Formats: sequence, C-alpha cells, structure tokens
Amino acid sequence: MTKIDPYFADELKKYGTDDFTACFNCGNCTAVCSLTDKSVFFPRMMIRMGMLGLKDEILSQPEPWLCYACGDCSETCPRQADPGQFMAAIRRYSVAAMEPTGITKMMFKNNPLFLLITLIIAGFLGFFLLTLKPETNYARWLFAYLPFGTIHDLGLIVFGITGISAAWGVVKMFLKLKKAAGKAPGKAIPVSQAINQVIREVTVLKRYQSCDKEADSHWHAKSFSLKPWFIHWSIMWGFIGLLAATTLNFLLKDPETTVWWPSRILGSLAGILMVYGSTLAIWYRLKKVTKAYDETKLADWMFLLFLWVAGVTGFWLEIAVFLNADMLANHLVFLFHTVISMELVLLFAFSKFAHAFYRPLALYFYYRRQSA
Amino acid sequence: MEESKKKQRIGVYICHCGGNISDHVDVKGLRDVMAGEENVIISKNVMFACADSNQKEMIRDIQDNHLDGIVVASCSPKLHLHTFRGVAERAGLNPYNYVQVNVREQCSWAHSDHPDEASLKAAGLIKAGIRRVASSEALYNIEIKAHRSVVILGAGVAGMRASIDLAKMGNQVILVEKEAVTGGNLSRKGALFPTGQKGTELVETLTRQVKNEPAITLFTNATIEKITGSIGNFQVEVAIHEKAGETLTFATGAILVTTGYEPYQPVEGELGYGKSTRVIPIDAFDQLLESKSGELQFEGKTVRRIAFVYCVGMRQTNGNNKYCSRTCCTAAIHSSLVVHEKFKGVKAFHLYRDIRTYGKNEVLYERSSKAGDIYLLYQEKEPPVIEPRGDQLLIRVKDQLTRKRELELETDLVVLVTGMVSRSDSTTVADRLKIPIGNDRFFNEIHPKLRPVETVINGIFLGGSCQGPKNITESVQSSLAAAAKINAIISKETLFLEPIVARIDPKACTWCGKCKEVCEYEAIFQVETNGKLVASVNEPVCKGCGICGPVCPYDAIDLAQFSNAEIEGMIDGFSDVVTLVQKTGTEEVTATKKTVKMMDFPSEWRSIMQSLQENPMTIPEIATSTGLEPALVTWHLMTMNKYFIVEPAGMDDSEEYYRYQLKIN
Repeated sequence: MTKIDPYFADELKKYGTDDFTACFNCGNCTAVCSLTDKSVFFPRMMIRMGMLGLKDEILSQPEPWLCYACGDCSETCPRQADPGQFMAAIRRYSVAAMEPTGITKMMFKNNPLFLLITLIIAGFLGFFLLTLKPETNYARWLFAYLPFGTIHDLGLIVFGITGISAAWGVVKMFLKLKKAAGKAPGKAIPVSQAINQVIREVTVLKRYQSCDKEADSHWHAKSFSLKPWFIHWSIMWGFIGLLAATTLNFLLKDPETTVWWPSRILGSLAGILMVYGSTLAIWYRLKKVTKAYDETKLADWMFLLFLWVAGVTGFWLEIAVFLNADMLANHLVFLFHTVISMELVLLFAFSKFAHAFYRPLALYFYYRRQSA
Repeated sequence: MEESKKKQRIGVYICHCGGNISDHVDVKGLRDVMAGEENVIISKNVMFACADSNQKEMIRDIQDNHLDGIVVASCSPKLHLHTFRGVAERAGLNPYNYVQVNVREQCSWAHSDHPDEASLKAAGLIKAGIRRVASSEALYNIEIKAHRSVVILGAGVAGMRASIDLAKMGNQVILVEKEAVTGGNLSRKGALFPTGQKGTELVETLTRQVKNEPAITLFTNATIEKITGSIGNFQVEVAIHEKAGETLTFATGAILVTTGYEPYQPVEGELGYGKSTRVIPIDAFDQLLESKSGELQFEGKTVRRIAFVYCVGMRQTNGNNKYCSRTCCTAAIHSSLVVHEKFKGVKAFHLYRDIRTYGKNEVLYERSSKAGDIYLLYQEKEPPVIEPRGDQLLIRVKDQLTRKRELELETDLVVLVTGMVSRSDSTTVADRLKIPIGNDRFFNEIHPKLRPVETVINGIFLGGSCQGPKNITESVQSSLAAAAKINAIISKETLFLEPIVARIDPKACTWCGKCKEVCEYEAIFQVETNGKLVASVNEPVCKGCGICGPVCPYDAIDLAQFSNAEIEGMIDGFSDVVTLVQKTGTEEVTATKKTVKMMDFPSEWRSIMQSLQENPMTIPEIATSTGLEPALVTWHLMTMNKYFIVEPAGMDDSEEYYRYQLKIN
C-alpha cells in the first residue's frame, strides 16, 4: 500500500516543471519516446509518480536518468504538459535529494539564492587562491587578520565537503536503486556485462543517438556534428580530456611545460571539443531550435556557461603562455579561469554536473534490469 | 368484401431501379405475367418509378384509362409510399387505392444469388399486391379540431422554459408541478458552467416569467390523475392536493412531459455511504459549497482534502442502470474548480472510471488537472474501499494508471458523484399517459434521431431529462423542440390523422366487450344503435394496432387497409401458380412453379419436429434424418428456436455441435 502525497506536485513544480499536472495520462509521450522499451516506463509513469507524490519511487528508479531530453514527448503532448521539462525537473529533484547538505535544494528552488551562493563561492575561491602565494603583495597585509594556514585548511575542508557530498549522493542512489532493483522480476544479466554496457554507452552514447532516429525528427537529416548527442559527447569527452590533461600537468609538476608536450596537446584537443560543444549547446538554447531547448533553467545556464567560460579562458591562457605575455590582464584571466574551474568541481555534487555520476549509475541498473 | 366492390381497372408498374432490381429480377417477364392478371389494364416496366417523368406518366395513365387502383413494385414503402400516394392523389385517385410492393429489398437484394427464385418471389408479391389493391377501399383522413392549449407536467427548467415559449406563441398552458415549489432539480444547483449563474437564480427568473405570463396557469402541489382523448383533444384531470379531493379537468391539444429525473440514491454501505457522515452525495456537497465562504468546513472541521468518486450507481454491468449519466463528470469537475476558486489550498482527488466531459466541458477537465487535481482510475469490479478513520476517511483504490498499484489516501470528505435515474413515480405517469418506458426506466421517444421529442402516443411529447440523462442546456433544447413541434400541430386548429383504424360492423357486433378489454388505448366504447348495444371506435384515439380484430368472436372488426378481403387476397395472390421463362446458361426453359416456397415450410418443420420426437439431435443429424440441406436445417431451427418450437439442449459428446430438442410447453 502506497500513500498518496498531494502536496508533492507543488514541491516538484519548484524544480521547474510548470505544467506537468495538466497530464491526462494518454501515454503519447511514452509511445513516441525512442528510449522506452518493455522495461522502461517514462515519461508517463514518472509523471504519474510525481502526481501521486511517490517521491521515493522516483528516487529509486533509474528512469529519470535514462532520458536524454530530446523533447519528442513535449512536442507530442496533447495537453502541453511538457513531459521533457518534467523529466529534467525530476533529475534536478534527484540531485537535490541525494546530496546531504540541502544546498542544492536551496539553489534549485530559488534563482536569486542560486546566484548569490555561486558568487559567494567564487569570491571565497578567489580569496583562497590569492592566499596560496603568501609572498604576493596583495595578500600579505591580509594575513594579519586571517592566518594563511587557517584559510588553506578551510579550503581543504570545503573541497572535502564537496567530495563527501558527491560520494554520499552516489552511495545513497546506489543503495536506493539496488533495493528497488531487488524487487524487479526476471534473472538479471551479470554485473560485468552491465558495467561493460555502461562503458560502451558512455563512450559512444548509442542510446542518445537513437533519440533522432525518427525520420520526422528535427535532427534526423542534419550532419552528425550538429546533433545533440554529438554536442553532449563533445562536452563530456572534452571535459574528461581536460581533466586528464590537468591531472597529467599536476603529476609532471613542471611549470616550464610547453604547448607541445603530450598533456598540453591532449588539453588543447579536449578544450576544442568542449568549447565547440558548449558553444553550440548555448546557441541551441538561445535560439530554442527545438522544444527540448525551449525552457532553459538557471541550473542549465550556469552549468553550460561555466564550462564555456572555463574552456575559452583556458585557450586565452594557452595563447598568453605561447606569446609569453606576462601582463596583469592575463594574471586576472588566469585567476578567473581557475576560480570558474574550481567552482565547477566544488559544485559538482550540488549542480547539474552531478548527472555525470548519477547517469552512469542509473544506466548500470537499467542494464542489470535486462534479463539475461 | 363483396365481389362487386372489387377494383376493375388496375395499373401495375414494375421498376428497374436502374438495375438494382432488373439485374436479378426478370422485370420484363413479370410485366408480361402481370398483364395477364385479372382486372389489370396496364402493366409496365419503368426505369425509375420515382422519377418525375414517370410520376407524370402515371398520372396520365390513371386519368386516361380511369384506373381505380395502382400497384408499384419497386423499393420499400418506407422510401416511397408517400411519393406514390401523392401521385394517386394528384391523379384524382384515392391514395389508399395504391399498394407498394417491395421487390428490391425483399427480392433482388436479398436473393441476388438466386435470380430465378427472386423473380418467382417477386411474382408472388406483386400478385399479392394486385389482389390487395383490388379489394382496397378509398379512405379519408380523420379530421379533428385541436384545442390551442397544452398541459405541461413538471415545472423544472425544461417545463418552465417550454411553457413560456408556448404561451408566447399564443397557446394556453397548464403547468402542473407535483412539488410545492417550482424549479425541480435545478433549484438544488449552485454556480453553473459557463455563465456562473446559480441554479436558484435561474429558477427565480423563470418562475417570475411564468407567473407574469397570463396565458400560463401554474398549479403546484398538483398531479395528473387521468388522461383521456387524443391529439388535439385530450381531457386531463388534475388533482389539486392543497384542496383535498379537488380535481380540475382541462381540455388540451397536446401534453408535454417534463417530469425530469431523480438523483441516484446510494444504498447503505455503497462506497462508504452511511458508514460516515463525511460521505455525501454531490448535491449535498454543492449546497455545502454554496453555504460556506472563507474556509470550507464540514461538521466543524476544516476540509483540506476532498475525494470525488465517480459513476456512483451508473454504468452498472450487473445492475439496472447500464447507462452513463453523462452530466456528472462535468458537474463534479466543475464543483472541484469552484472549491479551488472559493477556498485556497484544498486538494481534490477524482476517483473515476472514464472522464466524459464532452464538448465544451472538456476545458473544465483541463483546468482541473492543471490546478493539480489528482485523477485515479478505478475499475467497476474493484471499487475504492472507503472507511472512516478518526474524523477522516481512508480510501484504498487500485489505480489503473499506475500499473494497478494499490494506493491509499486520506481525505476529510468523500463526495459521491451520483448520476440521474428516472423518477420513482415515472411508471405511474407512464401508465396514465400510456407512453412506453425503456430498459433504463426513462420515457421513450419514437425514434432517437429522427423523432426525438415525440412519443408513440400522438400528441404527447417529451422534454428534458425524463427521457434520459441530460444537462440543463440539452433539457431546454429538447423541451423547446417539443414546444415548437406542439405549436406547429395545434396552431393549425384542424388536424388530419391517418385513417388506418379499426372499424366495427354493428350488424355483426353483439357487445361482448372483449375488444374493449384488449384495447391498450381505450379507443373502444359502447354505443346504442337501433336499440342494440354495440362497440364503437374512437377514431382519433385508435392506433390501428389491430389487436381487437382477432379477439372478436363474431368477426365484426376489420382494420382499414388490412381487411379480411385484402389479406385473403394477398395470400391467394402469393400462392398462385406462375409461369416464367428462365434462362439456364444459353438455354431458355419455361418453368411453371408455385411461387410459394414458404408453403413448404410447414412440411419441413414437421419433418424436423418428427425427427426430434425421440431424442435431441444436432444439425448434421437432423439433416441426415430429414434429407434436408444442413444450411436449410440451421435456418429453420433458428426460426423455430425464435418461436419457441425448439430449444438448445447442450453440446453433443464431441462438443462440436449443439443439440436441439422440442420445447415442451
């Protein structure tokens, strides 16, 4: 017996699904979705759960994360309930519900607060970064009030909280999905095979690619380089590439590294991919090319802009280093770049970024659900 | 009938129907056969009998040849009976000296794979038609004077609205209301969609108009006791209950029934009804909404959650109310929207079986779901379980939309969305008016599409929801349609009725009273002629049903157009021998046959009955035993089954065929 919570729908609406209660359960959305199959029930069933306030149900199913927001459902909906928007909202809701601090809830439900928190973190990071070089003139007089060691430790604690929150969210989701999956009928495929499938999906986004397989899809006849799945792939692999390059740089610990070194080449290529992807993604959202890009929430803008700014400032710095232009402006760009990049990482568990962990985890449970 | 009265100069027209008939029926052969019939002066083939040119030719034929009877062998009389009656009339011939024979639907279409037999059947039918017209009589429409007044039963929205229009069209209206006040069900309604006016306001407006209209006489606390007479001249006895024993009689041209409906009364325990005072029908809920403002309270407690349960008492698979009341979905959703408008923060659940907010009402459904109302789909076989829990109600429902999951919800109030049922006294009204009642116990019209406001009783009309569930708009539409129809009839002041009525031969009648007993319409009464008591027919009241004829021990009753002479003539004609040239491949064979295959039936039936005398048998067994084709046996058995001669007696041992046995009376 499941208890209906009639107030949950109002709560969900705060995560940016304005019209989903208009749904009259026709199921057209599920019928047109390229990603539903006999074991996956969305968007209709998820909307139903949202209506009835079965929040635990939403949090313990992989469904919210199996959707790539192609927008076909929203185009088809006879009630303009915007199922695509609903799916995005329950992903936001999930991110907020998984992490333990409650910061995400505040940010997703309240735009001014979102901006304020983002700015505070940026300010804090900027200050923190300045403290890393105590011999700098700007910093010296400051430490009369706040000792460098304290600030440094505080910074580590904050990053620690992010890391713990992210891990907490992942474990929490894993346990929830596992518990619910235990109830699913049929014999599941082996773990190794499921992980293999997840890796394959993350590598080539085959499921995402199938989103425009219908001949009347906006993207069907377009070049692959313009298709949403490829944009997503570029951003994702661009970011992963950059992360790898940064890590390599850090490991080599050689400040004299030039652009020709392998990690720098990797960084440049990955940067091109990420800037290309995020530029197009921003462009599509500005132009609202399809229904999927109709409604962009602050969380989406922030995430994309951070990626884009991090990428563009990164290239600026590459050029500056190449030209050996040791100027204040370039120092400031470097500060800005670092702040943005670190904030991206810092907000990892508390932003749209979290999908990078939740989606593969959900995919794992989705593949595990398939009978052997 | 006497021989001398028979028609001597008959014209026969056999229609090709452009090939519809002539492709399968040998119309030329039939023309030649019919030309040889006794008293037939003209026998013709026509391409389209109904065509203008042919109608003109028929008129010329009738006038030039002084024809005294015509037969058209063409399509169903439903299509062209009145066309050719018109032709006869224009030619100066009595329209009742015309007979239409249906050789299209009954011969060429039905037997297109047996053209020879189709032709033989057509021959029989046309011969029957010729004999019938030979014995036909000239008949004249019954003329009656109509009173320009109407009695309307029920002063609800339909009755009041119709009475106002009828009065404005210059008729006297007697408006009879059973209750002490006017308005009926409408007076219990709150704000209405889409105008937002209240039911009570509409009732006030209408009542004021009714009272201000001098041509309307309103009787409240009054019922009809007895109705006699017929269209144009009914006598309606009205009992005035305020003055005990007082009855008034009104002569009226027509009667309009607008007695309305009753809301379904849930039985004790049905969906929690009676288990808690917090389970209330929708009418009570609407009144609660009307009476509250600011905060919605019930029994001293604030209502924050309401559950509407739909289809209460309606669409019963096993019960009597098979129908959908069609207005209640809209009413419930509308009430829910009124709740949201008047009281903030109230959550509404809708437990439904199907949402039927047809037409414009669909916007309400959309508005309600957008407002966040939760819709839960239950099935009739698994209704929600509603139980009191503290001062709340606990509902358990299997929601079809969530993969039949069992859901639980707590509410402060359960509103039973009850449908419409016919009034408990509708059988009394039907008895007094002699109008039929359907399986749903609402009054029945003649034809749901083509004659939607008329009853089988000429002059008695239906309006509003006494005929079946209707919303206010539809009720008023139907009652105004009836009003217009009534005015069209009674404003002519003189009415003509078809003369197909029973006629009594006073010489043969001895007044035994049997015919009066069986007459459903009270059309037969006793008169004294030449010092002898005999039966007589009130012609405007008689429906020509013919039930009095066979019960008369002295054969003193004949039905116009269906006299013994006519019917016997038809039988003779149909069973006559006919000779038709039949084409078998390229060969022409002249066959003389009895047209009536039907005459064989009794013998075939007899042989089937004989073979069933001992044991029940299957169709193949009967076929073997009688030597008849299995298909023919099947056909006969189905007919015999329909007429209670045989009945199925279970499957045979191999469970392949049904056995049949003789039905023992």
